[in-house]
Amino acid sequence: MTVLVPRLSPALARINRRAWIAVAIIALVTVALTLCGIGFGSTWIDPRRIVEILMGDGTRGERVVVLQLRAPRVAIAALAGGAMAVAGYLLQKVTRNELASPGVLGVIGGAGLGVVIFLALLSDESNSLVTSIVWQPVAAMIGASLAIAAVFLLSGQQASSAVRLLLFGIAVGAVCKAATLILMIVGPIYRTTQASRWLAGAVNEINWGEVQVVAIGLAIAMVGVVAVARRLPPTDLDEVSARGLGLNLPVFRILVFALASALTALAVAFAGGVGFIGLMAPHLARLIVGRPVLAGIAASFLLGAIMLIGADLIVRVLFAPTEVPAGTVTAVIGTPYFLYLVLRRGSTNG
Amino acid sequence: MDKAISVQALTIAYGAATAVSAVDLDIARGKVTVLAGPNGCGKSTLLRAIRRLHQPKSGEIRLGDLPISGLKEKELARHIGLLAQSPSAPDDMSVEELVRLGRYPHQTMLQPWSAADADAIQAAMFGTGVSHLAERRLGSLSGGQLQRVWIAMVLAQETDIICLDEPVNHLDMAHQIDCLDLVSRLNREHGRTVVLVLHDLNLAARYADRLVFMKEGSLVADGAPVELMQETLIENVFGISCRVIEDPVHQRPLCIPIRNSSPRFGAAPPV
Repeated sequence: MTVLVPRLSPALARINRRAWIAVAIIALVTVALTLCGIGFGSTWIDPRRIVEILMGDGTRGERVVVLQLRAPRVAIAALAGGAMAVAGYLLQKVTRNELASPGVLGVIGGAGLGVVIFLALLSDESNSLVTSIVWQPVAAMIGASLAIAAVFLLSGQQASSAVRLLLFGIAVGAVCKAATLILMIVGPIYRTTQASRWLAGAVNEINWGEVQVVAIGLAIAMVGVVAVARRLPPTDLDEVSARGLGLNLPVFRILVFALASALTALAVAFAGGVGFIGLMAPHLARLIVGRPVLAGIAASFLLGAIMLIGADLIVRVLFAPTEVPAGTVTAVIGTPYFLYLVLRRGSTNG
Repeated sequence: MDKAISVQALTIAYGAATAVSAVDLDIARGKVTVLAGPNGCGKSTLLRAIRRLHQPKSGEIRLGDLPISGLKEKELARHIGLLAQSPSAPDDMSVEELVRLGRYPHQTMLQPWSAADADAIQAAMFGTGVSHLAERRLGSLSGGQLQRVWIAMVLAQETDIICLDEPVNHLDMAHQIDCLDLVSRLNREHGRTVVLVLHDLNLAARYADRLVFMKEGSLVADGAPVELMQETLIENVFGISCRVIEDPVHQRPLCIPIRNSSPRFGAAPPV
């Protein structure tokens, strides 16, 4: 017979409870920002009115603006930002390095290149895809996986050294970005209006079909994330101690990298190469909720969503009606933050 | 002899360099075995190989009668605990959280947490005298306290065999004795089989039931401390001329180094 005992001691239960309270507060902020994101535009729509329209009320005009134009854009920003943040959380945990993120490890660059090649090969002259958009995240995933595999192979024997992984990641990411740029200039891409997305990342011109693809993909990936989360705690230790506890670290690491690549690919497939969210959001999440893993993942997702919705809102407020990619805002804020982390002592763990 | 572990013709290589060559060794159940030898003799590699952290080039390691190569990761971790040479954990991790990690190999999808886990954690922290530190952050502990917490983590694993790789390296003299007394108590009172890698020959002679000398990847000698603590043997293995006397307190052999006789640092003048 199994005896039921509290899983956590009072002290750890207190820490955990505090973490989830913080997550709940962040969730409220996310909801508020989502309503702002939908409400803001050429005409301001009151949050209460938005809820009514989402519930099925509203005039035909209001319904088009909210449901067709604004909501998908905000939804994709939330999902893509969240996915990249969770990918960053996993990568930072498993490499024991707070500089690790999908961007720094070249995964975003690889996913972006995958999509651009896909579009170049499979668009026709009337600027439409000759195949289903479901394949777009698949292309992103292939690109992301190849990029991270290249980083792993180049690091070779020292793949467990985070610093080496980061250096090769930056190099592979730069090569992918360059290839993307060349393809956009000389390649037969007809969707030039979207071109900047694959370099900087943006969430304009999104439709529900695309949101659906990301949402379903994300739901599947999240099952993997929860399964992986249970095994994450030993990765806080050095490699010998973690393996001594019975975690097959070499295999586990590849599993986590694959999962992070899939999450990043889902985000990049439709929101493009938005940088630095995968770096900043998990870092901020750990600052706010502390060490509990599941709460950390939840907080990362929400903060990632907040950052991309916020970045998109900023470009809309400052530059409308010109469409400036939201990724420029995350880059402008993220780059100094990255430098701050590099310059701070103790950020390069091994 | 009741063998907890037997190492048979084990050879381990890093690329072209052979770290351990053709080592045969039986580790007695319920005893303290100490691996000693000069830097780079392969003692730490042998210890990690026993925990299957190195893939043997040839040879085999058996846990009782089972080859360790056939065991699952968590299964092996329920038999052998390992304290790494320089373990590291985040500064903001709490003591209790680290000790809990010792239960990782016992947790499964169906049984994520049980009363046995809670008991093992309490017992491990009590046994190592760190219960009062449970809520402290690791970053706030002294070196001696931290080492006790790491031992508590390995203890919470509840393994028959505990391997410790140079556990007293970074500790001052008082904490060295404190730490090794603790390990020795775990052996005597809880019947754990202990395998230690130690740098300090006199500490090795004091705490070992059985001493193993290694040199350049090979096993040179293996026996009770009184048998192995011979002046010529020590000179041969460690490259130091010495006198061996009996420790008047513990009645164990005590080595008094005289001078380096190794040609590495220039020829020693005749004594």
